[in-house]
Amino acid sequence: MNAALRKLFRKGSPGKAEIDAFIAGAEFPLVDGSEVTFVYRGVADAVYLRCWISGFDAAQPFQLLNGTELWVSTIELPAGSRIEYKFEIEAGGNRHLIVDPLNDVLAHDPFGANSVCQGSGYERPVWTLHDPEARSGSIDSFNVESSAFRESRGTSVYLPARFRRKRRYPLLVVHDGHDYVRYADLKIVLDNLIHYLEVPQMIVALTQSPDRLKEYAGDERHAAFIAYDLLPQLADKYPLSDDVTARGIMGASFGGVAALHAAWRHPQLFRRLLLQSGSFAFSDLGRHRRTAVFDPVARFMNAFREDTGELAGKIYMSCGVYESLIYENRSLVPRLQTQGIDVRFEEVRDAHNWENWRDRLRSGLSWLFPGPLWMVYE
Amino acid sequence: MRATSPAQGNYLMPQRILLGPQRPITNLGTAIVDAALPDGSLAVISAGWQEAESDIDDIQAVVQRPLVDLRIYRRAEEVFAASPELLVAYRARQDKLKALQRLYRLRLRRLLNAARQMLRTRGDASVIEAEQRHAIAQLRALDRHHMRRVGSVHEEFDAAFDVATHALLARHNAEISALLDGSETVLLTGGNVAVLINRLRLFGLGALLAGKNLVAWSAGAMALSERIVLFHDNPPQGRRNPELFGPGLALIRGQVVFPNARTRLRTSDRVRMQLLCRRFAPAVCVTLDSGSVVRFVEDELAATDSVRRISDDGRLRKVKAR
Repeated sequence: MNAALRKLFRKGSPGKAEIDAFIAGAEFPLVDGSEVTFVYRGVADAVYLRCWISGFDAAQPFQLLNGTELWVSTIELPAGSRIEYKFEIEAGGNRHLIVDPLNDVLAHDPFGANSVCQGSGYERPVWTLHDPEARSGSIDSFNVESSAFRESRGTSVYLPARFRRKRRYPLLVVHDGHDYVRYADLKIVLDNLIHYLEVPQMIVALTQSPDRLKEYAGDERHAAFIAYDLLPQLADKYPLSDDVTARGIMGASFGGVAALHAAWRHPQLFRRLLLQSGSFAFSDLGRHRRTAVFDPVARFMNAFREDTGELAGKIYMSCGVYESLIYENRSLVPRLQTQGIDVRFEEVRDAHNWENWRDRLRSGLSWLFPGPLWMVYE
Repeated sequence: MRATSPAQGNYLMPQRILLGPQRPITNLGTAIVDAALPDGSLAVISAGWQEAESDIDDIQAVVQRPLVDLRIYRRAEEVFAASPELLVAYRARQDKLKALQRLYRLRLRRLLNAARQMLRTRGDASVIEAEQRHAIAQLRALDRHHMRRVGSVHEEFDAAFDVATHALLARHNAEISALLDGSETVLLTGGNVAVLINRLRLFGLGALLAGKNLVAWSAGAMALSERIVLFHDNPPQGRRNPELFGPGLALIRGQVVFPNARTRLRTSDRVRMQLLCRRFAPAVCVTLDSGSVVRFVEDELAATDSVRRISDDGRLRKVKAR
């Protein structure tokens, strides 16, 4: 049992006032080295910890502490880890998921919010937080007329602070760009990294698909949209560098597949790739082991693994070790390296979520697009 | 032109004073006083600060003298706006230089790795030392080749767009020259060394500055040297190799300067440091940290404070004036 809980129970079952005081004075979950104890207070038939990470059972049961309404569940979590979780409460034959009522730290994604457990040693990187000294870039909007999708697609474009039309800027195309801004603080990160001279001033196209599981899964229309619709219209509207090494494309999860696929189909257009927790399902023999939505992904990945073509000069990849996708991502790295591609692969103690992807942006972006820090000697 | 030092008598030749970063220790004012530079206004080149070029109030507060802002960053922007053909050619030159730098970097990484491994190898000196010398010679040969290639790209551009032949550049050159007539001393700030040296070259400042007392810090000091070496052993994206960027104005000779070395160089890595020294010899690799001062009169070292040189055993040694 956690030391703080042991102390609470040292004279037997604590009363309400003692539990109130204990809860008011502690931070939850209780982190003690690599041991993390989750606490739920309430009436229930059963409580489970749900954290959707590879390596754990789907639902870790809580134990009710004697004579109280305190439920606890303890897990081992290596130092530096960060996981997202919910509690599943079973009562009266019903089950429902809630965020941890005792933990204010939340992460958001398109499906809502999760509680965040920051293991021993994890700290949110300061460059992901708003820095009042960093000048703020702006977000421009325009419609891309798409012949690939036969419709107009709303796109946002990040322009750096002190943007000037006379200059030429590197370009980064971001899949799920709006989600990156909303859930991974991409705009704040760009403002900060540009201010710290760690990445150059750049133009960032934030694309969003209305049907990402289909369009991002190795869909030829999407690659054509990027190459023949988006890029030329961006080049018409904004001062972009002609240097292909100043062109990058990125994405996470299925967005990573979309980025890899577009770059594979049009290697002359993008020489920098940033792929986070890519959903790179493949099969060496027979069918892959994932759901049917991965079928087109596996078809593309199998073809890609067969012939990587003239892919990008530099690829940054990251994946959480608590993701089942770690296997596919690890498998891809040597395949790329044997093609002479400069690959940097980062494994982290995190899972498939936006804050994992946020925390890797600095190492990925500054490696693919080194800023003028190299040139600046104050 | 006359520069005077009460401590060392009258100098007929201009002085060159190199400083480290002006934060946290600001020693610009004392360096000017200690060198007894002539009274009067000081011209300022702060193009390395780019859009913030004109933010020279802090300098004014330190030196307590009239400043003449040469505005060469702004001038370059004006020239680019007024002369599309020059802008196109300038961009083409920059693209070519970037491509050259990338190709140089490819070979540099391998040669540096090999040289470092050689220097870390222990064993029979009669076998190893010749191989170490050869590894370093290959590195030096690549550096020389790169300098030649970069130089030829600049020459090609200069042949078409020179202050002597291009009317707009000539006009700005004449204006700068007239402004400099009223100042015997020029300050060059830190900032982006590429932006700074490109603007200095564009307006032919090398010839105009040659007869002046020059006080330069960080990027400014790099721009005055013969060879500009870019370096940062601890950037966020991972360690990079020190690389030659190209020629400076060569108004300081025999020195390769490393500003803010305490932060940017892994000075505890003897092999890396040793290699720097041997790679750029006979030039002396000088570190300029905040508070450092090194003063030259006619390429002769006249005074120093808190300046170190990288020695061939990879240690930092104090630099002493003769």
